[in-house]
Amino acid sequence: MIMSEKGKQHVDSCRFCWMCHHICPVGNATGQERNTARARALGISLVNREAIELSEIMDNIFECACCGACVKECVTGWDPVMFTKETRLQAAMEGKLPEYINVLVDNCIEKGNAYGITEIDAALKEKIAAHKEKTDLVLFLGVDAIYKAPASAVNAIKVLEKAGVSFTVLEKEPASGAQLEYLISAANETKEQMAACAKELNGFKTVVVYDPQDAKVLKREYKEWDIALTAEVKTFTAYLADLVKSGALKAENSGKKVVFQDPFQLARDLSETEEAREVVKAYAVLDEMLCNKKDTMWAGNILMAEWMPEVMNRVAEDRMNNARGVNADTIVTASVSEYTALKAVEKDVKVISIEELILG
Amino acid sequence: MQYQMNEFLFAMILTELEDAVGKENCSTRAIDKVTHSVDYYWLSRMWADRGCRMPEADIVVCPENAQEVSKVLKIANYYKLPVTTWGAGGGTQGGAIPVCGGIILDTKRMNKIYEVNTEGMYIECGTGAIYKHIEWAANEVGKATMHYPSSLTCSTVGGFLAHRGIGVVSTKYGKIDDMVLKMEVVLPNGDIIETCSAPKHAAGPDLNQIFIGSEGTLGIITKAQIRIFDQPEERRFRGFLFQDMTGAFKASRELLQKFKPSVMRLYDEAETASLIKKIVGVERKGAFMNVAYEGVKEMVEVEEKILLETFAKYGAEDLGSEYGEKWWKEKITFFYPGHMMDIPQMFGTMDTIAPYGKIEEIYWAMKAAIEKEFPQAKFIAHFSHWYEWGAMVYDRFIIEGKDVPQDPVEALRLHQRVWTTGVRTAIAHGGVVNDHHGVGIKLGRLMKEQYGPAMQVFEGIKKQLDPNGIMNPFKLGL
Repeated sequence: MIMSEKGKQHVDSCRFCWMCHHICPVGNATGQERNTARARALGISLVNREAIELSEIMDNIFECACCGACVKECVTGWDPVMFTKETRLQAAMEGKLPEYINVLVDNCIEKGNAYGITEIDAALKEKIAAHKEKTDLVLFLGVDAIYKAPASAVNAIKVLEKAGVSFTVLEKEPASGAQLEYLISAANETKEQMAACAKELNGFKTVVVYDPQDAKVLKREYKEWDIALTAEVKTFTAYLADLVKSGALKAENSGKKVVFQDPFQLARDLSETEEAREVVKAYAVLDEMLCNKKDTMWAGNILMAEWMPEVMNRVAEDRMNNARGVNADTIVTASVSEYTALKAVEKDVKVISIEELILG
Repeated sequence: MQYQMNEFLFAMILTELEDAVGKENCSTRAIDKVTHSVDYYWLSRMWADRGCRMPEADIVVCPENAQEVSKVLKIANYYKLPVTTWGAGGGTQGGAIPVCGGIILDTKRMNKIYEVNTEGMYIECGTGAIYKHIEWAANEVGKATMHYPSSLTCSTVGGFLAHRGIGVVSTKYGKIDDMVLKMEVVLPNGDIIETCSAPKHAAGPDLNQIFIGSEGTLGIITKAQIRIFDQPEERRFRGFLFQDMTGAFKASRELLQKFKPSVMRLYDEAETASLIKKIVGVERKGAFMNVAYEGVKEMVEVEEKILLETFAKYGAEDLGSEYGEKWWKEKITFFYPGHMMDIPQMFGTMDTIAPYGKIEEIYWAMKAAIEKEFPQAKFIAHFSHWYEWGAMVYDRFIIEGKDVPQDPVEALRLHQRVWTTGVRTAIAHGGVVNDHHGVGIKLGRLMKEQYGPAMQVFEGIKKQLDPNGIMNPFKLGL
């Protein structure tokens, strides 16, 4: 397998190191030894040494959420996410992606979303239509919200309406490239999708990005890969914090004790941990559960549920236990993906999105 | 020992195991087999580094509880299939490597925390729980496990029990074998037993201590009650520099007759000049020692006074608290790639333990033997676990560059020779084959040299409990 020298160096450093074993949300949920950074590195190192076939490790390569908990944990600075994504890219180039991933990639390229859905929920469609007029600010909903969680997308729109913001929602919103970036990393197809999205968004002064996964790529990968995005990009949570601060959103604290689930894309990739907390504290009493802020533990997502739904439930259930550990009765989310994952296992601890917290 | 079976019989056995633990918890996939074939043992790592496949299990099973473990062991016993238990694979002695194929029984699905009991001061958990997770559970109620080895985040409760592990605050709080109240064990025949609920009793020998350290050769520990402790009101550190280690031994022996610090670590001159200089920043010639003392604040004040007075008598230079605090902060950093020895180096930790009258002699004898027989090897050491009666030495050899054979069999041969020389020397001078990493396949051959005719006690227990010899074959010298 062709791999960069940097990739090989990280692989060979991680293959015999167990130090981040405890922090992998997938490994903790499955109890499977292969769901560790060192197992993934060992597999890749054996492929590099021609002791095992690339196709034999690819399922495991796609069992990684790329949440970066292991990267954060490593005091030396080794990066399992980097070599995991490099392996995905290489497998895509060699035509060795698992078939269930090929289907998703094809959908991304042909339909703009991994799920291959073309119809938008009627209620959401109506809401979007109400904001089709061009303004300076566009609310970027993202494919997960549009196709898999339309009620969340509607709530996001309602929050901005409540604050009296004048904004646009695109009737034909382009894909940000976040799904392709996750599935096949820096492939040409990913960059082409990103460039098309940037072109559309550059027609606005400000882009408020609802889904942290989209925010991560728009703010990080676009820059790294020289995708010309000139519009200012703001995360939804940072924008909400501004609205609360300015008084556009008139908050009333309910006194309810809640914990906040930091999306790893905001906390680790974009170093944004306080903005959502400012919003939550305006509406409720914030407590902290185990593994918070940059140490956050991922709670599952919509995309991986396409090929490992049971594991997503277990990942979410583990996170629920952390909320139970501090006797929280409500967990507030700021990621449509984590909201959906946690909602699927909701029992004694209530799951609400930050939009629902604001809308009451 | 390798069980030769045809495709038909293999498929039959696989369906029985799937019936026992669920199809999704039974794997024959290459990635699972490869992952369970390389642990932290240098030879397994070297073998993989050279592009060779280590011996692999035929089937990886992940049971959820003792009942499922029991079913697996009954099937394995009937077909006489080897069963090797795997925690998280962080062992250094090759104890979890399925050298005879057969079944790998991964315990990590048995990771449930059943009870955090602040009255009885224990946590009851499945032995597949990562130790850091039970530390988190203890911390949530303001307690601590006080078992902090460098492998805290990457080893299971069962893994520590299997090889008698130890943590850095062992002098005050004890070794893992001091921290267990009660255990659930599945015997090789599938019977599920429980040890006594109180570890101190007069109801015959301590069953816990028969299974702790047995490395999966006598049964599989599936549940344990692990002690928890109050968080100390105060934890203080003090660094010292001794001109030579003899003074440090005398000072430490005297100190331990007066009170028990939590951390005591003495580094020889070579390790002071290398690792301690690099990570802690001590740039002085001599033997660095770090001591921590903790508990109720008033007691800590008194202990500090005793420590300073005692160590001053033996010429220790007081370096203040800064280095000790840095050491505490970085105590796990030592073990990350980039800080720790790693391939392509050849290295090993030949830890042993002995009473005060012998431990320094063992250090010098091992150093002399390794340096004489293997002039290409560097020898460094520290003394990291101390008792009223003696201490352990964590001595390491390092061979680098072109002195490490590229041919895997030649590398294996050299590695074995260094180990045999080092550990034989330790035994000859009154040391024990190992202090806290266990025996595994690495040191099995030296167990008979250690125990002589006493080995028949272990062999007798093994024969009675595991007549088919299916449990972790060729480990522990059994």
